[in-house]
Amino acid sequence: MTNHYVDLKNAKAFLIEGSNCAENHPMSLRWIMKAKEKGAVIIHVDPRFTRTSKLADIYACIRPGTDIAFLGGMINYILEHHLYDETYVKQNTNCYFLLKPEFKFEEGVFSGYQEGKFKYDNSSWGYQLDPQTKKPLKAKSLDDPNCVFAQLKKFYSRYTLQTASEITGIPVDTIKLIADTLVKNRPGTIMYALGITQHTTGVQNIRSFGILQQLLGNMGKAGTGVNALRGEPNVQGSTDFALLFNYLPGYLSYPNHDQQTLKDWTKSSGTFRAKFLVNLLKAWFGPNATPENDFGYGWIAKKNKGKNYSIFRIFETAVEGKMKMLYVMGQNPMVTSPNLNLVHKGLSNLEMLVVADPFMTETAAFWEKPGCDPKTINTEVIFLPAASFLEKQGTKSNSGRLVQWCYTKINPPGEAKTDLEMVDLLFNRIRKLYAGSALEKDQVFKKVVWNYPKENMYETVLQEINGYNLKTGEHLKGIGEIQPDGSTSTGNWVYAGCYANAKNLTKRRDNKTDPSGLGMFPGFAWSWPGNMKVLYNRASCDEKGQPLDKERPLIWWDQAQKKWVGFDTPDVPVATDGPDTPNGQKPFRMSGEGVSRLIAAPYKDFDPKNMDLPRDSSSTPADGPMPEHYEPVESPTANKLHPKVASNPCLKYPRLKADQPIGKHSEFPYVLTTSGIAEHWCCGAFTRNVPWLNEISPETYVEIPEQLATKFRIRNGSKVKVWSARGEVVVPAMVTKRLRPLKINGEEVFIIWMPYSWGFKGLSQAASTNLITIDAGDPNTWIQETKACLVNLARA
Amino acid sequence: MSKKSLLIMPEMCSGCRACQVACKNWNQLPAEKTSMKGDFSHPPDLSGTTFNRIRFAEMPTEKDKFRWLFVSQRCMHCEDAGCMKICPTPGALYRTQDGGVATNKEKCIGCHLCLAGCPFNVPRYGADGKMAKCTMCADRIENNMLPACAKTCHTQAISFGDRDSMLAKARKMGYSKVYGQNELGGLGVMFAFKDAPKVYGYDENPSINEMVILWHKYLKPMSWFGIGGVAIASALHYFAVGPHKAEAPKEDKKEEVKQDEAK
Repeated sequence: MTNHYVDLKNAKAFLIEGSNCAENHPMSLRWIMKAKEKGAVIIHVDPRFTRTSKLADIYACIRPGTDIAFLGGMINYILEHHLYDETYVKQNTNCYFLLKPEFKFEEGVFSGYQEGKFKYDNSSWGYQLDPQTKKPLKAKSLDDPNCVFAQLKKFYSRYTLQTASEITGIPVDTIKLIADTLVKNRPGTIMYALGITQHTTGVQNIRSFGILQQLLGNMGKAGTGVNALRGEPNVQGSTDFALLFNYLPGYLSYPNHDQQTLKDWTKSSGTFRAKFLVNLLKAWFGPNATPENDFGYGWIAKKNKGKNYSIFRIFETAVEGKMKMLYVMGQNPMVTSPNLNLVHKGLSNLEMLVVADPFMTETAAFWEKPGCDPKTINTEVIFLPAASFLEKQGTKSNSGRLVQWCYTKINPPGEAKTDLEMVDLLFNRIRKLYAGSALEKDQVFKKVVWNYPKENMYETVLQEINGYNLKTGEHLKGIGEIQPDGSTSTGNWVYAGCYANAKNLTKRRDNKTDPSGLGMFPGFAWSWPGNMKVLYNRASCDEKGQPLDKERPLIWWDQAQKKWVGFDTPDVPVATDGPDTPNGQKPFRMSGEGVSRLIAAPYKDFDPKNMDLPRDSSSTPADGPMPEHYEPVESPTANKLHPKVASNPCLKYPRLKADQPIGKHSEFPYVLTTSGIAEHWCCGAFTRNVPWLNEISPETYVEIPEQLATKFRIRNGSKVKVWSARGEVVVPAMVTKRLRPLKINGEEVFIIWMPYSWGFKGLSQAASTNLITIDAGDPNTWIQETKACLVNLARA
Repeated sequence: MSKKSLLIMPEMCSGCRACQVACKNWNQLPAEKTSMKGDFSHPPDLSGTTFNRIRFAEMPTEKDKFRWLFVSQRCMHCEDAGCMKICPTPGALYRTQDGGVATNKEKCIGCHLCLAGCPFNVPRYGADGKMAKCTMCADRIENNMLPACAKTCHTQAISFGDRDSMLAKARKMGYSKVYGQNELGGLGVMFAFKDAPKVYGYDENPSINEMVILWHKYLKPMSWFGIGGVAIASALHYFAVGPHKAEAPKEDKKEEVKQDEAK
């Protein structure tokens, strides 16, 4: 979240899209309902009328996988009718920046597309640069045809309300009503979840939100933002700490094989982030990391730049026989991954599988899958009983970046151990095994500093994460104290300051003191970075540094004190650099440009004092600098905008032809979308073992619109067979008015829905929906397209 | 002590049913075995082990549109309580100091008359044959805690407090009429309905069965004089409810009545 949960109460409008927050993030409702009491408008956009829609003022039924078209329709409407916040756009975005004249978008692809390689050479997407300073050239007016704003307008002009309506199924009037409502009710916030991300256009869906909020001036202020509702209590923490395969902790790019030295890495990521990488290396390798040995950068394994290391490839390489062993903790892919038959094939082809979990999950017992003959499987499986969330201590970081210490409530039963204990034991054993090795590749095991005292293991780790001044031995008080020369260390730069002055700030629990009245509670736990509650809050002020929203001020420039002050930690590069300095005009300082990017042009920012290495580097999505509508891999219709380029051109699917068939619309006429429910959590390993929860949600089911049920003579509760090109399930039906046929490109399209939280283990057992879902992935993040595939159905 | 009430606002309810789980948790009630019949309303009815539940109703309204209602079903804690009136056993049902209607299992004889007395079809019976229902968490309120359902409701669709403040809250939220403000002398569970109560499955003018009033006024006093009361109660039960299906432990019944006589 750019903002935070309590801040939802400050919004006057909510666009909840791709999220069923009433069911899957129930606590967010506490704050949404407070805003609603004050008259806020709630808009819900979803393929299915859910418990969230029930609480909304405006509901729009959207075809799965068409969010870019819907948002594009609104963006174009706002641009065309000059409904955007012009002052905000001019002050805070790259609208004036000039793009290269060779930048093009034609017939569904951007310039630089490399046919057959599923990727772009993005050099034509960049800015025109000043040859000396390498800074972007700016247009004199927004009418300059090469400036970002004009290019944005031109690109979006294709998204008329009519086009958006024909692609999405949302009536023209409803799209217009939603746009007008968002324009009239500011500040407004956007909330999304997996309904937006789990698509082959997941990243670009979110980019659309960014563009919309920039145009509305809804960023950096109270009650605004683009707010991701993360799927699990600590998934924010997991991604902060490099759960994603392409990052190191703190969202530093994972080194590729063509970046053999720290300098190579800095060339692509910039000196600003290299400083943090040096500190990470100091935290890992301690005194062994020196300027002479590149701070031990060479000891980190480099990933092959051309390879995909996502979860899909884990099971596929197992199928290919290239992966021998898999260690799974905190995950149950035999329920949650798409195309489960492939996952099962991969697990069956491993030599060894280790699963650490509080429950015997479907992954741990994959050989018990219905219809599977265990005699045909040679995988050795080891199960490690793990402590549950109630049986261990440590921090949890919520969606709003609030890092809270949680205490052990009860001790783990029997031999169960916490994850940290397991990793500690494992690492020490592995280090012993490598002790005699002289090989260079094994040095990493010898050089790492790893000595966490048993009696205070958890807080010691947090202190390492926070970091130290290595000269004085004191804890770092914040990001500002981090040095590039190896004299400081931090295990994750965004967490620097969470353990300041020898105090664990994540343990604070002051839920009374809120000087702002905006729900910031600065003394309750600790938010990254630097206890900042609203990211980009410099954008809440005018050019002179004074709050735009007098009712909800966050920060401001205090001329008397000559510094940025306020209720929140000011999001500025240097607190004493005023609005009359370049640093005082960098509302989006985490981008190389210092402003937000309506078009995500590739850009490297240089410091005039160091023209050899870039200071910072802006990231550009692999599949384009602007969001374009592409159909899901399995789609019920042609791509209305460019029939020849139907799905994402950067998408490689199938990757394993034999196991990844694509269903045709003629054979699979219905769209299936899937999601979680209130009563069961993710794979259900925990919740399906709670009888009270099984009572209120006893088994899986398929929601079918009444019209379709009538056609197949399916009654409420009767068994239905649902199948795709990849698998089939038999489940009871829930016939409902809450799903309805949509008019898409003039044809009727039916959507059905299923929850995914079931499997063949636990107290409540039922077929896994992911047996039928598709394992195509977004080319940036490789998240699965579990929100849209084609199926057929019949009475069982 | 002033009278306290629950205020339920179905429009605020998200249907998460945490109130059902919280109730089972606090009262340590076992889960029921349910199955998917094409509806979210699980369990399908109140029971001796389910004291509150949310009913889900898909309501067709204007063309093309529909409403989805989530309505709480539970004991309404009537001021003019039919169950208390008809109950032949003093103390089996009693008024708490906060105004709720609570049960004393020790005293309940399992005659099922209270079901006939209830205008809301609430009383259900456990495996022991005795009536079991929501007590408005009398044990929690006594210890200055909110009822379990209100405590867990994150949207504050269920709130709890002094009756006057609950009425004020409903008014502040724009509800000019509150269901339960005056019905049956005032209900301990009040609903802020956007539409007519019948849309939500509630009686416009809930009233106690006339037979119950008759019983309360003329016959019940007599029952205290002897075991004959049980016979009359049984007869009345037969007329009002129908034949008694579950076998009630007769020995226990006699004992209960004797104890009452001793008092």
